Amino acid sequence: MKKRTLLERMASAPHLVWMVLFIVAPLLFVAYYAFTTPDGSFTFENIAALSNHAETFLFSVCMALISTVICLLIGYPLAYCISRASARAQKILIMLIMLPMWMNLLIRTYSMMAILDDGGFLNNLLMRLGFAPVHIVGTAGAVIFGMVYNFLPYMVLPIHSVISKLDWRLIEAANDLGCNNFRVLTRVILPLSVPGIISGLTMVFVPSISTFYISQKLGGGTFELIGDTIERQFQNPVTYHVGASISLVMMILILISLAIMNRFSDSETGGMIA
Amino acid sequence: MKQEKVIQLQNISKSFDGEKILNNINLYIRDKEFITLLGPSGCGKTTMLRLIAGFETPDEGTILFEGKPINDVPPYQRSVNTVFQKYALFPHLNVFENIAFGLRLKKLPEEQIRKQVKDMLALVNLKGFERRNVERLSGGQQQRVAIARALINHPKVLLLDEPLAALDLKLRKDMQVELKNMQKRTGITFIYVTHDQEEALSMSDTVMVIAEGEIQQIGTPTDIYNEPVNAFVADFIGESNILDGVMTADYKATFSGHTFDCVDSGFEKNEKVDIVVRPEDVDVVPCERGMLVGDVTGVTFKGVHYEIIVDIRGFKWMIQSTDYVAPGDHIGLSIDPDAIHVMKKSRFSNMFGDYSSFSDELEKLSDLSEEENE
Amino acid sequence: MKTINKIYTVLILFMLYAPILVLMLFSFNSTSNTGVFTGFSFYWYRELFRSAAAFAALKNTLVLAISSAVLSTLIGTMAAIGLRKMRNKYVKGLITSVTNIPMMNPDIVTGISMMLLFVFVGTMLGQQDKLNFWTLLIAHTTFNIPYVYLNVSPKFQQMDKHLPEAALDLGCTPLQAFFKVELPCIFSGIVTGFIIAFTMSLDDFVISYFCSGSDFQTLPILIYSMTKKEVTPDIYALSTLMIVAILTLLILSNLSGSKEERAKIRALRKKRAAARKEAKA
Repeated sequence: MKKRTLLERMASAPHLVWMVLFIVAPLLFVAYYAFTTPDGSFTFENIAALSNHAETFLFSVCMALISTVICLLIGYPLAYCISRASARAQKILIMLIMLPMWMNLLIRTYSMMAILDDGGFLNNLLMRLGFAPVHIVGTAGAVIFGMVYNFLPYMVLPIHSVISKLDWRLIEAANDLGCNNFRVLTRVILPLSVPGIISGLTMVFVPSISTFYISQKLGGGTFELIGDTIERQFQNPVTYHVGASISLVMMILILISLAIMNRFSDSETGGMIA
Repeated sequence: MKQEKVIQLQNISKSFDGEKILNNINLYIRDKEFITLLGPSGCGKTTMLRLIAGFETPDEGTILFEGKPINDVPPYQRSVNTVFQKYALFPHLNVFENIAFGLRLKKLPEEQIRKQVKDMLALVNLKGFERRNVERLSGGQQQRVAIARALINHPKVLLLDEPLAALDLKLRKDMQVELKNMQKRTGITFIYVTHDQEEALSMSDTVMVIAEGEIQQIGTPTDIYNEPVNAFVADFIGESNILDGVMTADYKATFSGHTFDCVDSGFEKNEKVDIVVRPEDVDVVPCERGMLVGDVTGVTFKGVHYEIIVDIRGFKWMIQSTDYVAPGDHIGLSIDPDAIHVMKKSRFSNMFGDYSSFSDELEKLSDLSEEENE
Repeated sequence: MKTINKIYTVLILFMLYAPILVLMLFSFNSTSNTGVFTGFSFYWYRELFRSAAAFAALKNTLVLAISSAVLSTLIGTMAAIGLRKMRNKYVKGLITSVTNIPMMNPDIVTGISMMLLFVFVGTMLGQQDKLNFWTLLIAHTTFNIPYVYLNVSPKFQQMDKHLPEAALDLGCTPLQAFFKVELPCIFSGIVTGFIIAFTMSLDDFVISYFCSGSDFQTLPILIYSMTKKEVTPDIYALSTLMIVAILTLLILSNLSGSKEERAKIRALRKKRAAARKEAKA
């Protein structure tokens, strides 16, 4: 391949400048705010103050993990089912899965609330049918339901894209070698779809742990997730520094878990090929 | 007819990432000839073509075009055009626009472009294909478009980089004939790169065998086949039995424990040499009349002939014969003096063994890897 | 597909779409009741169209989406062009990783990190409104660039490496070769990148929430502030309109995509037929 010409080097310059100014610099600002007081002196106080939010943090992690696992349990079979359909049907089904993703999260969550609310559509329907109304909005279950509802497509799409690319002769080969259908699933399909599962897990977990709208609406104000905490800190310039330190820690934890996940998926596929 | 040197390469060397691809190449190409650069993958033949086209610049040496150095002339100012291995047709343009591409750049009047493209389509047997999408053409048709797109610019020299590699066998044979005819009709110099020795022998006026970045031999196809200069060329072109021998005297070569009459002379007394005997030049005779005697270890029917592997003193010969012999048979072999070709020892000596591990399947496997490397 | 697979798929899809359908239904409700459908009317749409805030927000959203999509498409495409031949794997890997940070990071972190930058710089410059249209434009462009880059740069890899050489060979200068051959080949990637950037910008709430000031509100931010108060069906009407708009956009972009695909299938069929003919001849 030929060397890059000067013109080609210049073409990437705007992007490189933009990247440094608006990706790298802002993250440095987060770090700066996390370790300073409002008058600009260095401090560990903001980091120390994190212990006040440890409970919220753990609660958020649990909520995010639960919803991620539920997404996997619902999403994997769905992705599998879709991948067994005809090529044409698959295209349409994937389109249908993707569509809600393009609709604003606020709208989706809001309509969810309208349905599940005490005086909402569902309870009205239940009462008409002669059942007792159920209190949903304001429970932890509702928040998890909202997360699953909003982020399920992020689980289905990567898993489907891996499964649909599987060589189906592998399954025939496994059948031929004496695997029954269940064992084909556990011994062949499941291990081979690990990369899709991993990216699905991260794609659901990251927005789940950082969301603040879902908990506000479906939690009915009775819960606080770490996203709500961060959002609240940024209502007032005095607490920017605490907010920055929480964000910094959250970001670092997420990046570490992403790195671990990636390594995990790499070694898995590596081992599979070898 | 006076034949000028249209292209000359003088002391050309080229390295990529510290690896020497071409080492001090010197050659010239005559006007209006069909020359083939033949060699295994990675031998530097494609690099040589890219140097001539102007996509690469040599580390050392000079490239001359009609006597003038063109090292610093960019590809778009050279009157050389290329037919790429996978055609490199522009997917966003139809057949007509692909072929007209070069003329449009020259800003020729529309009328003239129309006429020339039409003529060109006739030349490559693609009349009526103007509006077709190039991606909807078959491999052979894409090939023709690629050739037309290059030829319409009336280059002095047409470079063809393994243009038939992607076609199936039958089509490849047809295209070989067509290409040769096109070259004759247009009178354009063709520089053709291939790793297929059969293709090289059947199409070219001149064949240049290249290995490890160096030219091994330049000559007409018959010269190359009948008088290979070293074991590499002998092995690469056609099938051959390459044996260690000794020239005991002029016209006397000893190998496989027998002294043969031969037609070569001028070697020192008892000089060690490489002996080449082509499989089709060996006659199967009864044991008592054989110069050499051996056991048949394998027989494969090839249609025109049988391919027979004979073990003579531990060396597995390959011979081709129309008469069937059975594995296990004890047979005699007879070789005429002019079937024995004597070569000086070279660094390629003893690199090519006998046919003990020979099988068609292996050969195919190595072919495959060659294509992938390319 | 087996029956049980079908039932499962339909069930999940129903769950996904039920809230949206209910929302659309209630946008046509005649009263402000969000639990009982009392009758069909366009009342809430009329109400919505009377609201100046909604129109201002719509205009803002479109202006922002178009300008950030144009800017990010320009920067992202140029980056893909500049970086395509970069040989140093480590530097290239580093650049791609940093480029992708806004895609990997939680939106809230991207949002606050930019807000901190804007506030800090704004304070330094002594500005009154530290957050305005320009900060939003920068933020949207930043999170859009990776989507453009991700769509354009594979096009270079898919393109036959010899195409630019073929153009040079036929007489193009390097610049001509780029505009006449390479650009048309990557154009579909640029268009996809632009459309994705446009829709991402339309859809974004979290990052906009942190990077917008009081004088420039986008639709998602307006919806947010509306949902903070009493629930009224005019939000439903607004949402329905947005859903319809996005749906139209997606169908349009998909139509052009499937057109390309159909052409490819046709091409393949013709190719096979031609090969057969050639084999016969």
